[in-house]
Amino acid sequence: MNTVHPVILGEMPSLSKLYLNAAAQAARRRVLGTDNGSSLPDASHEVRGVTADVAKLTAYQHLIGETASDVLPAGYIHALTFPLAMSVMNRDDFPLPLLGMIHLSNHVEQRSPVLFTEPLDVTARVENLRGHRTGTQLDVVAEVRGAGAPDIRWIGVSTYLAKGMFLPGIDKPSAHNGQTRHEEFKAPDPTGLWQLGVDTGRAYAAVSGDFNPIHLSVLSAKALGMRRSIAHGMYLASRALADVGPARGESFGWDVEFDAPVFLPGRVALDISTAQGLHGAWQGSDFVAWNPRSGRRHFRGSVTEL
Amino acid sequence: MSIDGQSATGPQDSSALAAPGATRTLRRAVIVGGNRIPFARSGGAYTKSSNQDMLTAALDGLIARFGLQDERIGEVAAGAVLKHSRDFNLTREAVLGSALSAETPAYDLQQACATGLETVLGLANKIKLGQIDSAIAGGVDSASDAPIAVSEGLREVLLDLNRAKSLPQRLQVLSRLRPKDLAPDAPGTGEPRTGLSMGEHQALTTAQWNISRAAQDEISYNSHRNLAAAYDAGFFDDLLTPYRGLTRDSNLRVDTTLEKLATLKPVFGKSLGAEATMTAGNSTPLTDGASTVLLASEAWADAHDLPKLATVVDGEAAAVDFVHGKDGLLMAPAFAVPRLLARNGLTLADFDFFEIHEAFAATVLSTLAVWEDEEFGRSRLGLDGAFGTIDRARLNVNGSSLAAGHPFAATGGRIAATLAKMLHAKGTENGRPARGLISICAAGGQGVVAILEAL
Repeated sequence: MNTVHPVILGEMPSLSKLYLNAAAQAARRRVLGTDNGSSLPDASHEVRGVTADVAKLTAYQHLIGETASDVLPAGYIHALTFPLAMSVMNRDDFPLPLLGMIHLSNHVEQRSPVLFTEPLDVTARVENLRGHRTGTQLDVVAEVRGAGAPDIRWIGVSTYLAKGMFLPGIDKPSAHNGQTRHEEFKAPDPTGLWQLGVDTGRAYAAVSGDFNPIHLSVLSAKALGMRRSIAHGMYLASRALADVGPARGESFGWDVEFDAPVFLPGRVALDISTAQGLHGAWQGSDFVAWNPRSGRRHFRGSVTEL
Repeated sequence: MSIDGQSATGPQDSSALAAPGATRTLRRAVIVGGNRIPFARSGGAYTKSSNQDMLTAALDGLIARFGLQDERIGEVAAGAVLKHSRDFNLTREAVLGSALSAETPAYDLQQACATGLETVLGLANKIKLGQIDSAIAGGVDSASDAPIAVSEGLREVLLDLNRAKSLPQRLQVLSRLRPKDLAPDAPGTGEPRTGLSMGEHQALTTAQWNISRAAQDEISYNSHRNLAAAYDAGFFDDLLTPYRGLTRDSNLRVDTTLEKLATLKPVFGKSLGAEATMTAGNSTPLTDGASTVLLASEAWADAHDLPKLATVVDGEAAAVDFVHGKDGLLMAPAFAVPRLLARNGLTLADFDFFEIHEAFAATVLSTLAVWEDEEFGRSRLGLDGAFGTIDRARLNVNGSSLAAGHPFAATGGRIAATLAKMLHAKGTENGRPARGLISICAAGGQGVVAILEAL
């Protein structure tokens, strides 16, 4: 693997500017038809001394269903690192169009609790460009450390798909490697039911800063080819994590795979099943969510002991 | 039964077990320790935090301090005075949001500012009776995140609208709505039966007992000075966990002086015949915060290798007929304490610490004044003369509500944990366990008082 060149940014990039820039870039590429090659940028972006805004943190915690404690929820740290991750995908030498990318899955390791009072060093890079049966996928890796400290406290790997984009030299995976397997989903008895209002996307955008138009309103979503607005994947995954509750302890792994999008407004049925060891100690929780009417699966995942 | 099932055996202490229906021997209920978050002036650091957030934060700090992760506690009781209707199960929700076992039962209690102390007494009684081995008492209040209700007019329209079956019926109901119905209904500190605020009620008592401005300012000055000294000495290190960036009560003024206090303008009692003496400096501000107290049987504390600071000896509630001024709104403890001490064969001289909640400096001084009054002792308390005098050097020695602030339901837990720690440190006095008295006045003309003894 190539050496990664660190690029240190003075402050957390603005997501709204990144989205505008991505839209301009998409238009430019459409007109000029530029070839961006078939390799990922080997740069990692870093911002040092990042701190959480306590008012936003509290609003996030209340929206997601976490108690407003001083510990940053793992999903909040994802939101904190998201603009930096986007800035790597917004580079001119990034080979895929940022807008319209689909969040396939997310893996987080919360290795030790992070307090809102702590200044943090955040890095983000992209890696593992590979084929998908419907396009090209890659991983965005974000890492969080205490300012000036070597240990990774939180690491997130987000896998994105550029649907319909096939880059030269990147092969589609062969059918037998598992990605094309369609397993039957049979909904279990639910342990919970979420009523998501039409403003769910706007509410999460306000606390996470992710104002992607596909989440904001029917009109803005239609402009991007969706039939209605959809809930943020990380909103759903973060609510599932909150639902697992404090039994998960302060360090844990958190995985989610996204399936059918959740159109707003809508209802989501959820099942959380927890494995307990001796004396009822928590070992891990699996979660799965589906549309209670159609039975289509929206997402599934797990929270596990690290 | 599976290994993660709930044990069906009863309390561990065999002395509490007896034949069905038989009278059980009482055992002791001890205070193991406490934890609270720093109290914040309303509109400050906890503005956006809900009661549930703050209670959970205080609870999680207690759990961490005493290693109670995944522990099934006998019962948790707490409450809030200003409470949203959606918080009907506030304490149980806080337990579910905490690291305690989800199989820990909980209930809410509300007795105005006496809420916190009443949870301590009620749970201590359950432990004494052998019904539970461990308990967490507590309280929380947010004046910042206070509930606001819709007006009575709008509420009736909304309820009738829900019951209406046809469109014409709905329109008919809606037509009753008037612009004034849209004004929200915020909670106030006024007494429902008199319309007077708590401060105005105290001002009546203050004037009745001729409590001077200087004496009130001195109480307030001592409160700030004592609380600051306690923080500097590290006294609160094992009684408090930081929250939302606060490590000390934000109302504490380390640099306050009697001269500064003397410059403040009176805010209560300005329309009375007597001189107005109650200022923002000698009255408690609206505050946000939460507190918890861990209680246990001695056997439970020993089995968990936890400290035993003090026993909850006894408690007493009283109420006064304040509505037409027979007694002052906040004077109920003046009646509760003499009854409690008589029952336990004690006098004021038998106490090493007095924790008299400083709702207002004048509340403390009025209480002391009536106890020192011969006539009041004879005619109202049925004694031969004055009830007694306390040694001021033993009063609120680590500060109280004037400095710390007063998140209504959280004050009882703050005082109980503070006093238990002070008593444990003092140990024995004159060959007997050190003894402390807690006195808390409450809205509605109520008061709850308690005796703790060192272990």
